[in-house]
Amino acid sequence: MMASLRRRWIRTGFVLLSLCAVQSAHAYSHFTTSEGTRLRWDAPRVRWFATERGVPGVSATEFQAALARAFATWEAVPTATVAFEFVGFTSAEPFEDDGVSVFGFQNHPEMERVIGATTFVFDTITGELVESDVFFNSAFTWSTTGDLERFDLQSVAVHEIGHFVGLGHSALGETELRPEGGRRVLGAAAVMFPISLGRGSTKDRELQPDDIAGISDLYPDGEFRANTGAVRGRVRRGNRAVPGAHVAAFNIRTGTLTGGFAVGEGGEFQIAGLSPGAYVIRVEPLDDADVESFFSSAGVDIDFQVTFHPRLVVAPAGGAGQSFDVAVRPK
Amino acid sequence: MRVSGPCFLLFTVVMLCLASAARAQSAATVPGRIEVAVGLGVVGGAALGSDDANLRTATGSDFRLFGAESRFGAAPTLEARAGLALTRRYAMEVRFALSHPELLTSISADVEGAPDSELTERIDQYVVDAALLVRLDRIRIGPVVPFASAGAGYLRQLHEGLTLVEEGTAYHVGGGVKHRFVSRGRGFLKAVGLRGDVRVYLFAGGIAVRNRPRPHAAAAGSVFVAF
Repeated sequence: MMASLRRRWIRTGFVLLSLCAVQSAHAYSHFTTSEGTRLRWDAPRVRWFATERGVPGVSATEFQAALARAFATWEAVPTATVAFEFVGFTSAEPFEDDGVSVFGFQNHPEMERVIGATTFVFDTITGELVESDVFFNSAFTWSTTGDLERFDLQSVAVHEIGHFVGLGHSALGETELRPEGGRRVLGAAAVMFPISLGRGSTKDRELQPDDIAGISDLYPDGEFRANTGAVRGRVRRGNRAVPGAHVAAFNIRTGTLTGGFAVGEGGEFQIAGLSPGAYVIRVEPLDDADVESFFSSAGVDIDFQVTFHPRLVVAPAGGAGQSFDVAVRPK
Repeated sequence: MRVSGPCFLLFTVVMLCLASAARAQSAATVPGRIEVAVGLGVVGGAALGSDDANLRTATGSDFRLFGAESRFGAAPTLEARAGLALTRRYAMEVRFALSHPELLTSISADVEGAPDSELTERIDQYVVDAALLVRLDRIRIGPVVPFASAGAGYLRQLHEGLTLVEEGTAYHVGGGVKHRFVSRGRGFLKAVGLRGDVRVYLFAGGIAVRNRPRPHAAAAGSVFVAF
């Protein structure tokens, strides 16, 4: 029984983690209910529809095919068990409370920096997703062939499907401000970084280790938890917590980066789904995208210096290492 | 354990060379004699390599977040050996070595200006290996008898907190000298002496960057007794 259903919007930024609802915040980020329960599908195969409307440069058939490839990218993660089923084309539109999950183009010129968005309907008690719709903003130009002047539909779809399954934004990226406004991405280590790599780039068709850890932690296969580990600790500034601090774990063996956030009253973080081994822990302020892209609540502290924890930290197989504190200093 | 092709080939070549050299040596040790030794030594540091923390750009090239270079520091070792003379020239021995090297990762060139730093972790390192020893009596200097050795064994590294074990293979070649202070043909205790060893190890697996093998130098001195 659904206690109550609620629709939530996720644009390129929106309500993601609540700093007050302290679940053990895992790597990357997951959407949660106000009580901290993670949002996820319980159905063995998640059904989706595509609108039968194309845009210049992308026919309805090409639209569906690009989405299918993007879904297949997430399904192919060997350590996760999520699966999808394309049901058919529909005349329904995204964001209608009709009980079906619809992907489609919509024209929203007023959203001048939003190329796509995802909404959910979910059980506010259990966190079970019951409907999720995704729109791609046809105010922008689109391509499925890597056209350098257009956004790559498949890349953006991989990102939005990450939201569709319950993943929030990752902060593993560096940006710079554009003179005309907005930000340009210098580099990102996650498809789930909230800002697109830009027109013409198809690099986000491929998941990165942070994305794979995120989906695997949310939909783990039988061996995932036994074969991976977690690092956990707190970010502190003097004797108080640093809410919203971004924590990145760098595996010295593989060179992979996985991220998480300090949340809760104590500034706790936990990054799960890590290959067992030794990690460099780097803590930085959340200043490479709008804070609202990650957190709904105010109070994120970005007034501190980038800091490396002075010890290498171990993620053991099948568990979490000893908790540690990272002490940061004000800028 | 991982045994890479080139490492195995190197090991085989060294063993054949030692065997060939030993044919010309004169006899000195009684077959079946057991020798045990304990001692102290040092295992040298080794670079594990560098591997930057990179972000992916729109074109697929790398954007460096920070640089990371890892290495093991040198550390003292505690060693124990037990050997069996197979012939007058050859002996087999098993060695156990314990050390606590530091794993160090140097961080540099952080894109947001974090100061360079060095992160550390203390490792418990165990090596259990078997070796073939060949006495080189032709080049002995009085009571000091040189020998050559080569072998392979098991590498076990425990991270701080003993929460994670990483395993690998340790190959080595080396040599040393033995000096007997007491030597007699009768009685339970047949000999007492000092021994010095130098070795070059190749560690494969265990704690590594991109699973690259890495060489370590090692030296040890020990007291031995023969029965």
